[in-house]
Amino acid sequence: MLNGLLKANRWNALLEAIPEYYIPGFLMTLRTAICGLLLALLLGIIFGMLSTSRSRVLKAISRVYVEFFQNTPLALQVVFYYSCLPILLGGTGMRIPKFVLGLMGVGIYHGAYISEVIRTGIEAIPPGQSEAAKSQGFSYLQTMRYIIMPQTIRIIMPPLANQALNLVKNTSVLAMVAGMDLMYFTDSFGSSTGYFAQAYFCSALMYFIICYPLARLARYLEIRSMRQPVAKVNMTQMMEDSINV
Amino acid sequence: MKTRNWKRFFVAAAVTALAAMSLSACGGSSSGLDAIKERGVVKVGVKADVPKFSLQNTATGEYEGFEDDLAYAIAGKILGISAEEAKAQKKVEFQAVNAKTRGPLVENGEVDYVIATFTITPERKETYNFSPAYYTDAVGILVNNDSGIETIEDLDGKIIGVAQSSTSKQEFENYKAENGIQAEPTFQEFATYPELAQALAAKQIDAFSVDRAILEGYKNDSNKFLDVRYGEQEYGVCSNKENTELSELINTTVQEMLDDGSMTALMEQNGLTVE
Repeated sequence: MLNGLLKANRWNALLEAIPEYYIPGFLMTLRTAICGLLLALLLGIIFGMLSTSRSRVLKAISRVYVEFFQNTPLALQVVFYYSCLPILLGGTGMRIPKFVLGLMGVGIYHGAYISEVIRTGIEAIPPGQSEAAKSQGFSYLQTMRYIIMPQTIRIIMPPLANQALNLVKNTSVLAMVAGMDLMYFTDSFGSSTGYFAQAYFCSALMYFIICYPLARLARYLEIRSMRQPVAKVNMTQMMEDSINV
Repeated sequence: MKTRNWKRFFVAAAVTALAAMSLSACGGSSSGLDAIKERGVVKVGVKADVPKFSLQNTATGEYEGFEDDLAYAIAGKILGISAEEAKAQKKVEFQAVNAKTRGPLVENGEVDYVIATFTITPERKETYNFSPAYYTDAVGILVNNDSGIETIEDLDGKIIGVAQSSTSKQEFENYKAENGIQAEPTFQEFATYPELAQALAAKQIDAFSVDRAILEGYKNDSNKFLDVRYGEQEYGVCSNKENTELSELINTTVQEMLDDGSMTALMEQNGLTVE
């Protein structure tokens, strides 16, 4: 493989393969990643809030979702959506588009993780703040929107960025079910020519092109959110403790 | 400050790349016939899931089939013993390969040669050494009984699953062009044959098209072969192009076996029809 790295004809073959293999693969991966991230955020926010609500039923629903999807492999989930879900939905010969498979796969899986990130973020805010908001006549949603969330964002930004980056990279499981994504075309080009070094190099570069700006964006949002005031957790805790004593 | 950050970034990237290179370099061992003799065992890549050609016996862990027997014959030649001795003394260390791993394993020197229903093509010849063909196979198409697909024209607008790095798609296009067939299927590639068989069973693909030798292993009550035979292709023993000494020995051994009829005998012994 190392020898092959230095052969010019293999790099030429790679350049020629870019329009046919890498561009469609890149676009599919980008599309899946963006929509998957939106779905994951949506699910994460919904279930994250449910798990901090006072209702036991809602908490339980959220728990089941999180534990189930966190503790089974993503590859298995995607293969399940691919070959079993159509049968469960009733139609033999029914096919779920690959884009939807990918978006569901990473969206639901990372949604579970993001839900946990959001739950811990919310729980990090002292309960006294919610109580104070309630006493001032704020509804649950208003409390979340105006009091809790602005502070939570600052806490959850780094782990959230982690999830977003992993989500992009995890779209590569689509290749297992001929998902027409970047990894699929990488394998296809690599194995049809035998130029694996070039195939994987180009693929890594393209994943990097998606992930790096995302990492920078997350960092920017993190720095920006630091301008928000945040509760002094320790101080409040200490005060509460002293009152209880 | 800004430029310094970038500098650090590039240094880190360079170090990572170097580390990766040295890691991959470890795989390639110096070879040549002497190196193999010194080692005492021959490393061969074979398929584990192709009945009659090379199938791993799940009870004993042994590889059994035509290609494995051929591997013993060549190993015997390298070590200066007979094929039976090579087999009895366990002089061959088999490694299961698939369409995706067989090429890189040969190139990295992790196996000495690969006998794994590896079709000889002009492009592949540029990268690897191939022995004279030891078997001629054709592409087959397997469809579900209830799919309503009877002829190759019925595949129009359908999805054909093929294996990564296989020549099945190209052969289909050639056959279509030569015979003026009007059918525009789409192709999807999968990494392994079990994945393909599973996709066919779940009706996520309409047809499963790879070499007939391999398809035989996935024929069952609910699927059938389409009655076409095209894309004759030749299987060769693949070895590292840079190891000329080994390549020449493999080439002459295979040629001798073809000439003196022992290749045909091996096929018959393993239940393969000889044409």
